[in-house]
Amino acid sequence: MTALSFAAITDADVAAVRKSHPGAFGDPRLRAIRVAGWALAIGYVLYSLHLFEFVKLFDSSERAWRLISRMVIWQDMGNWAYAQIYVGIAQTVAMAFLGVLIGTIFALGLGFLAAKNTMPVGVVRHAVRRMLDVFRGVDDVVWGLVFVRAVGLGPLAGVLALWISSMGNLAKLYSEAIENIDRKQVEGVRATGADGPRIIRYGYLPQIFPVFLSLSLYSFESATRSATILGLVGAGGVGMIIIERFRAGLFDQVAFVVLNILVVIAVIDWLSGMIRKRFIGERGH
Amino acid sequence: MALTLTMPPVQPGQDAVALFEAHRAAIRRQKLTANLLLLGGFLVMLFWSIDVSRFWPESLIAGVPRIFEYFGSVMPTLQWDLLFAGANAEGRFPQGSIGFWYNDFWTYLSLIWETILMAITSTLIATALAVVLSFLAARNLTPAPWVGVVARRFLEFCRGVPEILFALVFVFAVGIGPLAGILAITIHATGALGKLFSEVNENASMRPVDGLTAVGGTWAQRMRYGVLPQVLPNFTSYALWRFEINVRAAAVVGFVGGGGIGQELNHVISFYSDDRVTAVLILVVLTVTLIDLVSERARHALIGKESLK
Amino acid sequence: MLEFRKLTKEFNGKRAVSDVTLSIPAGQMVGVIGRSGAGKSTLLRMINRLNDASSGQLLHEGREITALTGRDLRQWRNECAMVFQQFNLVGRLNVLTNVMSGRLFHHGFGTSMLGLFSARERAFAIRALDRLGMAHVALQQTDTLSGGQQQRVAIARALVQEPKILLADEPIASLDPLNAKIVMDALRAINTEDGLTVICNLHTLDTARHYCDRIIGMQDGRVVFDGTAAQLTDRMAREIYGAEAAEAFNEALTSTSLGGARPAPAVVAV
Repeated sequence: MTALSFAAITDADVAAVRKSHPGAFGDPRLRAIRVAGWALAIGYVLYSLHLFEFVKLFDSSERAWRLISRMVIWQDMGNWAYAQIYVGIAQTVAMAFLGVLIGTIFALGLGFLAAKNTMPVGVVRHAVRRMLDVFRGVDDVVWGLVFVRAVGLGPLAGVLALWISSMGNLAKLYSEAIENIDRKQVEGVRATGADGPRIIRYGYLPQIFPVFLSLSLYSFESATRSATILGLVGAGGVGMIIIERFRAGLFDQVAFVVLNILVVIAVIDWLSGMIRKRFIGERGH
Repeated sequence: MALTLTMPPVQPGQDAVALFEAHRAAIRRQKLTANLLLLGGFLVMLFWSIDVSRFWPESLIAGVPRIFEYFGSVMPTLQWDLLFAGANAEGRFPQGSIGFWYNDFWTYLSLIWETILMAITSTLIATALAVVLSFLAARNLTPAPWVGVVARRFLEFCRGVPEILFALVFVFAVGIGPLAGILAITIHATGALGKLFSEVNENASMRPVDGLTAVGGTWAQRMRYGVLPQVLPNFTSYALWRFEINVRAAAVVGFVGGGGIGQELNHVISFYSDDRVTAVLILVVLTVTLIDLVSERARHALIGKESLK
Repeated sequence: MLEFRKLTKEFNGKRAVSDVTLSIPAGQMVGVIGRSGAGKSTLLRMINRLNDASSGQLLHEGREITALTGRDLRQWRNECAMVFQQFNLVGRLNVLTNVMSGRLFHHGFGTSMLGLFSARERAFAIRALDRLGMAHVALQQTDTLSGGQQQRVAIARALVQEPKILLADEPIASLDPLNAKIVMDALRAINTEDGLTVICNLHTLDTARHYCDRIIGMQDGRVVFDGTAAQLTDRMAREIYGAEAAEAFNEALTSTSLGGARPAPAVVAV
């Protein structure tokens, strides 16, 4: 064992170590793959930025500046029609609540139909799952527009859109929760001589209720977010106010409305967190 | 609502069973009141919601039949014998064939391709930005407390505003086209990923970071060598998951002029109520489902590899 | 020469290290002993500024360590390497990269972010590993190694820093007796052959007696003993350790006195 010094490492030393430990100098193939991967990613991004005319971003400074300054400088605050804004926000929350509630009710049935352990008939299970894929595969906004076309402008279209998308999401998550159930607890209840409904009440329900509740609450939170933009296509709620005022160039009011929505969503997150804690305890799901 | 679940100790001369029963009754009463209050709140919320969103029986009765009417009108008319019929001399497909239904197939396909590219581009850029911001925002790693606060507020803002609102703003700023959509999705995804990444960072072990501080490493070197190797598998998994979401988002930013299939989707749904609506919708659903499937496989492979170690 | 002048560290009004005044000449092997919570770790971590002193001064060759910032501070940390009780290696990187990370101070932003280490650095890192008998696992993922192996990797990382001082914070507290001996032998060898100052926090008394030229005893943040192993009486030691005396004197626990004799520095078991 002798003292080491970096300065004393000569090319001969490097050659000697290279001979005794060839792996220490990196696998050239691995390095080539890594370099190629990075080159591909960076090349792709550069190419796509070119493809999507990224330079436009730099030509737009004047309009962007006008937009931002109008958003920050609030003018004529006396005439902002606050009642309309807050009714819009209330409507947004109400749409999300109803949509998720109805979605939850339907998802309860569909979830059991899509789970392997409660739906042994493969054809039915797969049909239900594919249907759920369709519900989930399309964004709420698209459903919103479709329902606006079907039932006309207004919050009814929004509720229907949120119902469809939350039903699709929740039913899938529910079915996963049902499949992950602990069989031993069900066996335990069955061993006491319980009949069908009792097995469900004491074997299944205590396990899945907290999970279901928690999932529905999360769904409510995200539905509130989606509900704010459903109005952009005319499906009711505060989004209609946003797009009207945006088109009219009232950017300061748009900024105000968005800030209010952010606050409302934060409050809903907090409230649903409280309810989760009440029913599920600190562990949460 | 706190429940007292511990039973008072049994005093000499008291009947333990009676005491237990009394205690049980008290707990039940507490629980009952709490549940009744929640139920009351729920009912108030329900009726208020029905009223505010005008979900009244009469509007339902008027509206629901129209839903079926509408979906009936957008279903394609397909005939078995003509299903795979080719185009005639003028290049037209006979009504009832798939060719007729998907007359604009190649237009749709190129728009879907654009949508996927938009999602890939914005996921890549957002991931890169989120990685950097997540180190600044993580409470245990931030170079200075005020930097952490600023980074966290910024990420909150980015993910608080929906993509489509950002798209609205960017369409105004840079004009109609995919660039506005990409910018919008990138900002929102940066916020969402940045939050998730910084939570992963906060759970990382600080020991390697201490080790690299002692070596004389800069902040960036500590993050690169001390934290990044720990969190990289999680980051990748989250980025893939975000890609799935971004594909959905890229399909709708077009509603406000942000490019991709959304523009066509909006156009078709708003102006026609015929089989073109289902033609585009089916393509979108297929694309999204396919990408979910592939990305989910990749994520599971990633996690599987992790748990083996 | 490392000089402590009334060095003090307070955590929330409680003094962890209190008015420590010492001077440690270059090339000494110093063992710091004391019960847990006596302030040994804090004292050591103040030397490379992982903890900042509340008051007092630390000087190295006349340079005021307590006032260093930015690049000067990092340079100082590079000059005084540290090994930790829990090794503090990056478990998911391979051994070689962990060792090479000891060279990070000499790297700019670009090369370190891209992980570009030169062939000379790689050769140097392998030499360092070889010196500790660990070159054969250079490409293994670090968290697959045993504790003793990881600690030797950590020492190799310290060596590639080419430090003037080596700080060891309870280097053997998580190791079994055999590995503890290997690690302590390595530290001693580095001290004698490279002339490095080694400052080592030790929980067990006999280890300190066996390996160190000088023993510093700490109690409640104060230095209560400073002298050679021979000067440390049993009574003094019992007072330093207080209630933990039984544990500290129990040679069977994390003792390094396997062979009983003073180790021959030239031999490092593999």
